[in-house]
Amino acid sequence: MFRYILTFSKMGTICYISHLDLMKLFKRCFKRAGIKLSYSQGFHPHPKMGFAQALSLGYWGMNELLEFETDEEYAEEFLRQTLQDMMPEGLSLISCRKAGASKKTLAARTEAAEYIIAIPLTAPLDMTGQEIKARYMGQEKIIAWKKQKKKKDLTEVDIRPMIREIDFVPETEALFVTALLDAGSASNLSPELVISTLMECLDLDVERSAVSVMRREIIYK
Amino acid sequence: MRVDRELDNLLKKVEKPARYTGGEVNSIEKDPETVAVRVGFAFPDTYEIGMSYMGLQILYHILNKNEDIYCERVFAPAMDMEALMRQHGRELFTLETFTPVKALDILGFTLQYELSYTNVLNMLDLGGIPLKSRERGEEDPIVIAGGPCAFNPEPLADFIDAFLIGDGEELLERVCMAKKACTGKEDFLKTISRYDGVYVPAFYEPIYNLDGTIQRFDKLWTDAPDRVKRAVVNDLDKAEFPVKNIVPFIDTVHDRAVVETFRGCTRGCRFCQAGMIYRPVRERRPETIRKLAEQQLANTGHDELSLLSLSTSDYSEFEDLAVELMQMCKAQNVALSLPSLRLDSFSFRVLAEIQGYRKSGLTFAPEAGSQRLRDIINKNITEADIYGAVKQAIELGWETIKLYFMVGLPGETYADLDGIGIIAKNIMELNFKLRGRKGGRFRVTVSASNFVPKAHTPFQWEAQDTPQQFIDKHNYLSAQLRIKGIHFNYHETETSKLEAVFARGDRRVGRLLEKAHALGCKFDGWTEHYRADLWEKAFAETEVDIAFYNYRKRSYDEILPWDIIDPLIDKAFLIEESEKARAASVTADCRKGCAGCGINRYAQCFCGVEDLEVADV
Repeated sequence: MFRYILTFSKMGTICYISHLDLMKLFKRCFKRAGIKLSYSQGFHPHPKMGFAQALSLGYWGMNELLEFETDEEYAEEFLRQTLQDMMPEGLSLISCRKAGASKKTLAARTEAAEYIIAIPLTAPLDMTGQEIKARYMGQEKIIAWKKQKKKKDLTEVDIRPMIREIDFVPETEALFVTALLDAGSASNLSPELVISTLMECLDLDVERSAVSVMRREIIYK
Repeated sequence: MRVDRELDNLLKKVEKPARYTGGEVNSIEKDPETVAVRVGFAFPDTYEIGMSYMGLQILYHILNKNEDIYCERVFAPAMDMEALMRQHGRELFTLETFTPVKALDILGFTLQYELSYTNVLNMLDLGGIPLKSRERGEEDPIVIAGGPCAFNPEPLADFIDAFLIGDGEELLERVCMAKKACTGKEDFLKTISRYDGVYVPAFYEPIYNLDGTIQRFDKLWTDAPDRVKRAVVNDLDKAEFPVKNIVPFIDTVHDRAVVETFRGCTRGCRFCQAGMIYRPVRERRPETIRKLAEQQLANTGHDELSLLSLSTSDYSEFEDLAVELMQMCKAQNVALSLPSLRLDSFSFRVLAEIQGYRKSGLTFAPEAGSQRLRDIINKNITEADIYGAVKQAIELGWETIKLYFMVGLPGETYADLDGIGIIAKNIMELNFKLRGRKGGRFRVTVSASNFVPKAHTPFQWEAQDTPQQFIDKHNYLSAQLRIKGIHFNYHETETSKLEAVFARGDRRVGRLLEKAHALGCKFDGWTEHYRADLWEKAFAETEVDIAFYNYRKRSYDEILPWDIIDPLIDKAFLIEESEKARAASVTADCRKGCAGCGINRYAQCFCGVEDLEVADV
């Protein structure tokens, strides 16, 4: 067994491909490239590959991570180049490297992710980045409404402890937010909750569809 | 090709935005400046449905191989996207280059089902193209249409400049190339009307009798053909077939590699339009099929392969082919899917092999509940066949049996409906007998669709049941089938009525269609979008008499709206079959001997078949 980690970016129109569809896309690219993935045992064998973390529909990603396993050994650059040739526009394979010794999957190792959020402004904000941060993070609790997985109703959560770092750069036409948030199975914060609480805190009236989100990096143990 | 900011803003607000972005693996990029003819292949339904249609992949591939032509795809935007497009004044565009369809030379619709007709009009409207052929000028695209529904083109005659009837592999490219050579719309239409398979409705005018039936078709241009012969590809093995299929980014209805094994069907079911209009049977050779499958899998990365035909097991060398494909798929971790298998012992072995542990349901289509009615419709399946196969299936561990029936067939009585219940109950009994009183989780699903008489079939003269008759029959069956383990469902009555109006309508039902479109009807085939209230209003306002189109039995000498189309099957044969149906007498499969439909005067039956075996059919 040989395990590899592929770093790739997902930018432009391809951001409208969902997590599951992207998984299928990669599976097919492996097939077309003739790279044989290892398959799980059982009645319905499926190839061993997975993303570190799902990227929401519409988000761009600069350094997304895909982990996969092959029966044969391949040269890393060969894998990267061969797969790149199969990729549709918008998916660039940045690097491919052998995974370390850890037996855990990347998904299990993921602990945080950094996002850049752009919120368009109709009028310039009358605050510096520091002041925005002070106002937002100065709240004792940042209460967001979160959908329960099983029940359909919303519950309150305090997202403040899940924000590891946050910085604001207000420009004339948009407010740029850089945020390092908890990610992974232990604690996970969706940027959506940061966006909604921030808009409330700053009293911004912007349609959600006008806000752009890019994930810059996934941090794992 | 990049989406512009305006479109991007719309995409952020809609469901499944990837329906509208193109750029899939194997989609074709060309510089529009370098081609002579720009064509839009329009499927009047959503992306997921259109991309599952093999005909699109075939024709897209053929047209784009030609350096003079750029063929791009166009689908009906879903309701949410359409609303946003209208709100922002965004016109319907192609997926490849986001070009407004208005700017194309030819816009071609495929007509797969009658309930997509309002979408055809809606797409023209969304594209800023005048709906009616005569309202369109030289600057508008030529609007053409093909597919099985084009075999009765009249309901759409006012909206379509030219219909392409029959196999499109050779004809469509020829028509596109004529566009390059011709100077204007009239020159173009006159040129292509000389080709077999092209019907230009503007060159004909139907004259009606006082009772509403057709008296004659007057030709408005003397050189137009008296009847339009359907186009036929004689040698399917040599016909183009794609191996670099477009691979959608998102899930579609069928997301798989597909190879068409043969075209046509020999069984002669009297209700079936496909069984008549795709004659004769023409096969691809096994080596060709294998090669196409291999190349498609290599070029797409699909993990499922399926075979396409009207009846998978009727392929003359089916057993060898199935075994070979099974081995090939297994080696590549590809699932093989074989639809509409005839359930003999070989098929069971194949199914056991390809389905492994998890068995999907087994489906039978007896279509009618009694032997008498099955003889009327010439559906060659006996109850002994069904029980024999079900017995085997139960023994092999299948737990779900699906049964398909039609209600409202010509000559049907309530005794035939009782037969449906009897078959379902006997299957339940069989399970109890084989597996004990508890019988496991065994389920029988009975699905009833409503008979819709179709053009160019032996039943084209028959009346359809009224909605009330259908409802009574559905209720009767529901009561009969209220049994533990049996699940009964039936098709919507209202949409079957609508389907029948357009399946056999004349040029005058175009008004109805236009009115329904104006009132906002679209996606009529989707239960959640079908608007019975608006359709009722459209019928009332246009005074289209449903009884005239649906509930009336026609006489053999009546001129039918689709008589202008020559399907290459003799009308005398259809009449003979209709008479045999009335006498409940069967016609054998034409592999057992020629039934005399007349097709062999134009095309070679069983072209590509090495040795015609007539033993087991």
